[in-house]
Amino acid sequence: MSVNKLTSRRWVSITAATALAVSVAMVSGASPASAAAAKGGTLYFYTNSEQFPALDPTNMYTGRDIGLFGTYLFRTLTSYKMEAGSAGTELTADLATNTGVPSNKAKTWKYTLRPGVTWEDGSAITCADLKYGFSRAFALDVFNAGPTYAISWLDIPTLADGSSAYKGPYKKTGKAAYDKAVTCSKDNRTITYNLKRSVPDFNYFASYPTTGPIKASADTGDKYDLHPMATGPYKIKKYAINDELTLVRNDKWKKSSDPMRKAYPDDIVIKLGMNEDVRDEVDMTDQIPNGINMDGLQPLNNIAYFNDPTKAKQRWNIVDPFVTYLTANNSAGHLDCLLVRKAVFFAYDNQSLIDLSGGLKYYGVMGDNIVKPNLGMDYAPTKGNIHDPNFKIGGNPEYAKTLLEQAKTACPDAYDRATNPAKGLKYYRADTATNKKSAVLVEAALKKAGFVIETVYKPAGTYNANLVEYKSQTDFLASGWAADWANASTVIPEMWGNGCCNYTKNEKTPEYAPFIAKVNKALSELDRKKQATMWHELSQYGMDQYWYIRTVFGKDQATWGSKIGGMTEWKPFSQAIYNDLYIKQ
Amino acid sequence: MLKYISRRLLYTVILLLLVSLSIFYIFDLIPVDPARLVCSKSCTTALVEANRHRLGLDVSVLEQWWRFIQGLFQGRTYGEGGIKDIYCGAPSFGYSFNRHACVSTIMAEAFPITLSLTIGAFIMWLSIGISLGILAARKKGKFADRASTAFVLIGTSLPTFITGIMVVLFIVLKFHLVNPLELGDWQNPFTNPLGWLRTFFFPCATLAIAYAATYTRFTRSNILEISTEDYIRTARAKGLSEKVILRKHTLRAALAPIVTIAGLDFAGLLGGAIITEGIFGLSGLGKLSIKAVTQTYDLPIIVATTLVGSAFVVIMNLIVDVAYAYIDPRVRTT
Repeated sequence: MSVNKLTSRRWVSITAATALAVSVAMVSGASPASAAAAKGGTLYFYTNSEQFPALDPTNMYTGRDIGLFGTYLFRTLTSYKMEAGSAGTELTADLATNTGVPSNKAKTWKYTLRPGVTWEDGSAITCADLKYGFSRAFALDVFNAGPTYAISWLDIPTLADGSSAYKGPYKKTGKAAYDKAVTCSKDNRTITYNLKRSVPDFNYFASYPTTGPIKASADTGDKYDLHPMATGPYKIKKYAINDELTLVRNDKWKKSSDPMRKAYPDDIVIKLGMNEDVRDEVDMTDQIPNGINMDGLQPLNNIAYFNDPTKAKQRWNIVDPFVTYLTANNSAGHLDCLLVRKAVFFAYDNQSLIDLSGGLKYYGVMGDNIVKPNLGMDYAPTKGNIHDPNFKIGGNPEYAKTLLEQAKTACPDAYDRATNPAKGLKYYRADTATNKKSAVLVEAALKKAGFVIETVYKPAGTYNANLVEYKSQTDFLASGWAADWANASTVIPEMWGNGCCNYTKNEKTPEYAPFIAKVNKALSELDRKKQATMWHELSQYGMDQYWYIRTVFGKDQATWGSKIGGMTEWKPFSQAIYNDLYIKQ
Repeated sequence: MLKYISRRLLYTVILLLLVSLSIFYIFDLIPVDPARLVCSKSCTTALVEANRHRLGLDVSVLEQWWRFIQGLFQGRTYGEGGIKDIYCGAPSFGYSFNRHACVSTIMAEAFPITLSLTIGAFIMWLSIGISLGILAARKKGKFADRASTAFVLIGTSLPTFITGIMVVLFIVLKFHLVNPLELGDWQNPFTNPLGWLRTFFFPCATLAIAYAATYTRFTRSNILEISTEDYIRTARAKGLSEKVILRKHTLRAALAPIVTIAGLDFAGLLGGAIITEGIFGLSGLGKLSIKAVTQTYDLPIIVATTLVGSAFVVIMNLIVDVAYAYIDPRVRTT
């Protein structure tokens, strides 16, 4: 899940996140679900955003929304346990009777629906609904904001242009191939997915709304986003962009078919488009005591709020799922010399940059890996980089100079590009006020070490959309990433391999071929522990190449009203366990 | 007169056509590719092209514009002949894939909010501005005049985004005058006048402050200028009371140009009060257009909001011109 966190105020509108066991959370004031939790009342959320990135399950890809709507509105085949601590990172069956039955070396996955699961109109959820819902991800001409794992994994032929032979349910192209890859039992209750290769963590993907059921007769294509049909304990009463989303109880939802969901509030209202100053004032003065701020506060208000002892039970400061990073362009004619990349790493003034964004307390800490500790067994501290004795968080220009001196003879062309005033390095950045401030710090630190660098500003509104184009032109590129689920398979291949968001341009370097061979091996490894060890080796390998100049393990703050009960962190999403939220009577 | 109006109407239509065409060309010049903007993280060249086709951007600018004009009269279907094609009936301003709705529907929802805000603010600024202006002129050099001058100074020097934030934080929220969850809620003034007043009073007041200040100054100076005219002196010499002179002679002359300017200001605001709508969370045309321009690059919304805004200004100009032509027959012959 890519995000240019450096240009966005928070990660409200960003993509999904999962994580695992080991928590380095610094939770203050979070209260576990209490025995006094009671049904009733209206639970409010408020946000500056005018609309949700997607309510259509096929397009839904933000961690917050998967957690929020996966609790209240949609059910999926599997779900993360709605529990505190590391238990919350384990999968459990939701619509299905179990978390999936793999066979054929995890190339085939089978799920059977629970009895009694229904849509909001009372009709039964069937295998056909699951199959139809899964098929919509292939209609890329209509839905292209959701995850695309279904397209790359399902055993459907690929066309010459690399696209799938199946084009989704709205066209007839390739339907036979899809019908072969996804099959339903005669009783319409068991679905089988046939995959191209072993996917040991397919069951995690089955927790994504994009894999959930959609009733074909209710599908309105692009407009489905405005009123998707519910399978959870609530249904949509009203969704008006820049106004509000109102959820009311789904009277067709049966507790007997859903042992997990508690559904405490009577109604849930999400106020959209609230002015940021108004939103912050609401928090500071507790004007909506049964409400939760979905965005976080503006930096100065955030500090004031977190310094206020009376708010101790209405806030938390936790580790978020994101790793923000600075990519080096490893291709020829750019930073194609390890010594130069290392010199940049040691010259960087990380302390000033972190301070500019909120400091170590609120923004994040220096990372030593592309994989975050939240991912549990897939994370292992690496050697070198920030653990190198020469590393100084405020920058070590002297050491950087010695590395550059070595580069002068080891890779003279790269050295010349990096230090020659007529050439110099280019850093493409979104044209924002924050980036302009940080550019001054970056340029100052690198110049101290002898680099020549120029910041090139690009339109902020389209910066992220143009990353694919920019990555070939710039020497550095800043962005962010969170794992899709609790496996580094959604991190390492995506960021350094042949996944969606490899901006390192490392594919033509001699180091890439052995790396990607090991990645492919790890992806198919069925022994989870062995797979974790393989990810450790690959993390170390990439970090040793300095494919990334720096990584920062981000933090996130949340605030809520005095009448909110049950605020506990749900680790997979670094969000509340929405299931536990209730209104204190 | 009919010939004059017909000629002006024809000019208005031509002007609006040119405005719409210019928007398409300007949008084409912006270094932004909406097809890429709506693309997912797994964006490929083929996907970008598919998006471009879906958004109707894969043809020349002139062709895009012509399709738009056709849509205004015939309605338009979006899609590739598939089962989930979207039809927007005439007058179709296009379809917003960001908001998953026909733009005419979106505009129809946003317009009453902007209209409400504009009418409320208009009534406020005219009543406050003209009253204060009259008072200041009548009490020239006295406390009331100095106080109104101070109001003018404050009103004109404070930008709306400061006034708005101050009104919200230090009045509305501080004294719990409106539930923050109700800020920006649309209330129909005909079915729920009290609800409308609660939600719209403060945005209207925010918007009215700056305008009222300008109108105070304008009214004051107009009245003072006209008071020195010969016919006013004559009226006074005839023994008419100051009240009658003001009501029957001074005000009529002083307010004529104010009404003209008020009409144009009113029309300008109908295009959307961007800042006020943003602060109070009102889903009017202003907020709609600013998001489309700065965040989503939603061409159909940009075209529609600009066109509607332009139409109001042009039509109000026409009304003003017709009114002048009615008052002054010399205009008709030019």
